[in-house]
Amino acid sequence: MSGGEATGPLEGEDSSEAALDPTGDEIQRAPTGFLRRYVFSLDHKVIGRQFLFLGLAFLAVGGAMAMLIRWQLARPGVPVPVVGKLLFGPSGGVISPVAYTALFTMHGTIMIFFAVTPILIGGFGNFCLPLMIGARDMAFPRLNLASFWAMFAATAVLTASFFVPLGPPEAGWTAYATLSTAIGAPGPGQTLWVVAIYLNGASSVMGAVNYITTVLRLRAPGMTWFRMPLTVWGFFLTSILNALFVPVLAAAMVLLFFDRVLGTQFFIAGTTPGAGGDPILYQHLFWLFGHPEVYILILPAWGIVGDLLSFFARKPVFGYRVTVGALVGVVVLSTVVYGHHMFTTGMSPLLGESFMLLTMIISVPTSLIVLSWLGTLWRGAIRFPTPMLFCLGLVFTFGVGGLTGLYLADITADMYLHDTYFVVGHFHLIMAAALLMSLFAATYFWFPKMFGRMMSEGLGKLHFWLTFLPLNVVFFGMLLIGVQGMQRRLYDPSVYDFLKPLLPLNQAISRAAFLLGAAQLIFVLNFFWSLARGARAAANPWEVGTLEWTVASPPPHHNFDRIPIVVHGPHELGHPDARPLGRDWLAQTEVIPEAPAAAAPPAKPTEPA
Amino acid sequence: MIAAPAAGRRHVDAQVGLVIFLGATAMLFAAMLLAYAIIRAQAPAWPPAGTPPFPRGAAAANTLALVAASLALRRGRPRAAFGFGAAFLALQGVLWRHLVAVHLGPGAGALGEVFFALSTLHALHVLGGLVALALTRARRPRLHALYWDFVLAIWVVLYVAVCLL
Amino acid sequence: MHIVLPRDASLDGHLVDGAIGYLTATTGIAFLAALAFLAAALVLHRARAGRTWGHHTHGNRARDRALMFAVALVLFVAVDVTLALRTTRELETRFWRYPDGDPSALRVEVTARQWAWTFRTAGPDGRFGTPDDVLTLNELDVPIGRPVYLKLRSRDVVHSLYLPSFRTKIDAIPGATTRAWVQATTPGRYEIGCAQHCGVSHYKMRGLLVVRPEADYAEWLARAETDSLLRQDPAAPGEIGAWNWETGK
Repeated sequence: MSGGEATGPLEGEDSSEAALDPTGDEIQRAPTGFLRRYVFSLDHKVIGRQFLFLGLAFLAVGGAMAMLIRWQLARPGVPVPVVGKLLFGPSGGVISPVAYTALFTMHGTIMIFFAVTPILIGGFGNFCLPLMIGARDMAFPRLNLASFWAMFAATAVLTASFFVPLGPPEAGWTAYATLSTAIGAPGPGQTLWVVAIYLNGASSVMGAVNYITTVLRLRAPGMTWFRMPLTVWGFFLTSILNALFVPVLAAAMVLLFFDRVLGTQFFIAGTTPGAGGDPILYQHLFWLFGHPEVYILILPAWGIVGDLLSFFARKPVFGYRVTVGALVGVVVLSTVVYGHHMFTTGMSPLLGESFMLLTMIISVPTSLIVLSWLGTLWRGAIRFPTPMLFCLGLVFTFGVGGLTGLYLADITADMYLHDTYFVVGHFHLIMAAALLMSLFAATYFWFPKMFGRMMSEGLGKLHFWLTFLPLNVVFFGMLLIGVQGMQRRLYDPSVYDFLKPLLPLNQAISRAAFLLGAAQLIFVLNFFWSLARGARAAANPWEVGTLEWTVASPPPHHNFDRIPIVVHGPHELGHPDARPLGRDWLAQTEVIPEAPAAAAPPAKPTEPA
Repeated sequence: MIAAPAAGRRHVDAQVGLVIFLGATAMLFAAMLLAYAIIRAQAPAWPPAGTPPFPRGAAAANTLALVAASLALRRGRPRAAFGFGAAFLALQGVLWRHLVAVHLGPGAGALGEVFFALSTLHALHVLGGLVALALTRARRPRLHALYWDFVLAIWVVLYVAVCLL
Repeated sequence: MHIVLPRDASLDGHLVDGAIGYLTATTGIAFLAALAFLAAALVLHRARAGRTWGHHTHGNRARDRALMFAVALVLFVAVDVTLALRTTRELETRFWRYPDGDPSALRVEVTARQWAWTFRTAGPDGRFGTPDDVLTLNELDVPIGRPVYLKLRSRDVVHSLYLPSFRTKIDAIPGATTRAWVQATTPGRYEIGCAQHCGVSHYKMRGLLVVRPEADYAEWLARAETDSLLRQDPAAPGEIGAWNWETGK
């Protein structure tokens, strides 16, 4: 995140590469070489796909790690079938405590930073944002390219951390000091982890600068703030949080790096109290970022679901402005609630009670968002294609995930539930279940636009049910196990007598998890089959009005032949004025036709004499 | 809406983007200063007992190089600015060597470590500014000037916070 | 599904269970209500012959907004505010009212390290650093009916002392002193866990909390003092006993 990365790529394109359309806007010609077209492309649509593929690959890796974790919890000490000998050869196929610790550390790190972030924000953010606001590309295409390759470099560094002496990082995805300092993790693996997270953050900040500038500056004429699709609002607000709080994580990583490499003592307590640094300082910095991070990931999901529920209910979003206000409210509040992650560190009573109340206040805007969803569905004409099923799945899992958050905001309940599987269940319902639902919904919904082909509806619906049902068994099961007291991150819970009776429940969770994992093969199959053989997608297969559906599938290199002029909000469904057109929706650019008698002949462009 | 000439519009885009980037960078330094404030608030005495006196004068003198770089950019002298910026880095290098020699370096107590961490991070941003000057051949001088003013401001803030207060 | 929480052996654990129960009831009702509404919408308003058009409303009228805000506020007051008031009261009258002035309280210095707990009890004179201090490894013995006042330090990384049967946990942090207090009501042997990931053998960092009636405890104390005298090495104090328990410094 040094200055060079920002000022360099901020330059616009050379005008020699551009032609002008009649309004004086430049149109980039599509590059012809393979490298410029597919590898080092400046096109947001290509970069979006690159992020999507990178993220999906790491989603598979992180998911496989979850399967191994679940194997250990269901069959402690039993060799892993099939892949055990290959992965854990020295221990005879059994997952060792060291391997288990590395697995949960990397599972968390990969899923949050290298799967969901690139898929949702890098992938769909990149692809959708310019198209949905009527722009030809991001404001800074080269910065966009740099953002992807910084992410790629981060994945390379993270992967390298598996293969260094003393093993991969083992301090958990939160990497609490002093476990993450030389005291608890002397090997280079943890240092590489720090570097990878820093690079990942650099990628996010570059993306954030780009997304914010794009939304501020490149909206098409008439695309006012309150005509933006909620998806755009989600990505915009997420980018603001990214720009503000990823640097805080970066600061923590810089200080941790100094502690590990140069022997400073920012997070290491001195030999006498009060001298030297403070391990809790790390937690403050980490959660100052970490709590907004939850919203960084969920805001785009809320945006996408808000739009899609309206599209498939064939009805405008109920209370659009209230929803936007609620999203902004969540962004503001998310910055002042992080302390609820630290109730057990012995914080002062005043601070503790303040954080508890502030956290609870977040339930007001969150309720408004959920109420808007319910209001949107009511009196609709609801269709149930695959993306809609996943959106409804999100409504359910987010409901449970959000409400269980209250238990952890309450200091009394948190004294017992903190660091148990209740926490794991709660945040997986949001960060895994709800986010998976949203990114599958987004994939099924925008796949036709991205690749020009439809995904199979049959396989999609099968994928939904085989994902949604086991997913809830897994995470509900975790809540139940947590409320019965099982701590997180235990290699073998049977060390504790009071946890021994939980083995059958753990096994049930694991069986559901394996089913969930296997069901994702349906998605992989559907994805690649549709990529090659799916039915050709029309420009607007879902019959909705946002700008990306007004252009071909996939869109041309420059997105829009003419920059569109927006005259409506994004959700004009069931619109009475559309009746004469024989459909129930209006595109955002569509001028409402006058009554037929008064219809003026369409204005023909007059040739200059 | 009449489209503004594309070049002028792109210039504003770049300005907006740079301001957002500087906001993010400011948060990075703010978080570092917050860490410093917490460490300092918890210390029984500040500077911690046994810390040698900090060479405030030498650190202050380096400021002049950054001021000169900023002024040079405002006067349209990017080459001179580059020279002053590079001189600042060299002077900081001399200062760090001196600090290590008088036991104010990494591993030798909180005051030295705080200064070292903040000034290193700052120096990396100065370096970034130099690279940007070189790579863009000082196109868009107003953006460069904004960046160097920012780097100067950060330096002044951290000098006051760490060395004077 | 049979859910069994660890047996509650503490004076105030029922308050925690009460909060969890209250939350489950209130959020459960809210969730089921929302779910019923959702199900009704999905069934009644699904697209079908005769229902191809959604009702065209943006829900931006004052009435719509008032309805949304009213529901959100009712939920907030009914669930969050009542809970926060209840919790604040309990924290201030029970959990955060430390037995500083109570001479009967059993004072315990807890030292966490990878991967074991060391407990030092002040002995009958109630003061640390005297020959009657009792030092135990991975076992804490307490009497029923008296507050047990724990102050914690860690020697290496962050740990968290977890007493499932007492419904509480508190972190042990290098360079800082944290505290908690509990009171046992039922004799028995209860497990102590570590709740904060503290390295590869985190899962093995288990201890026992042994609760005895006062008479048995006195008998145990007399025996333990002798053992502990043999075990203590005054030449290598380390973190144990290196700080003032009363001030935490």
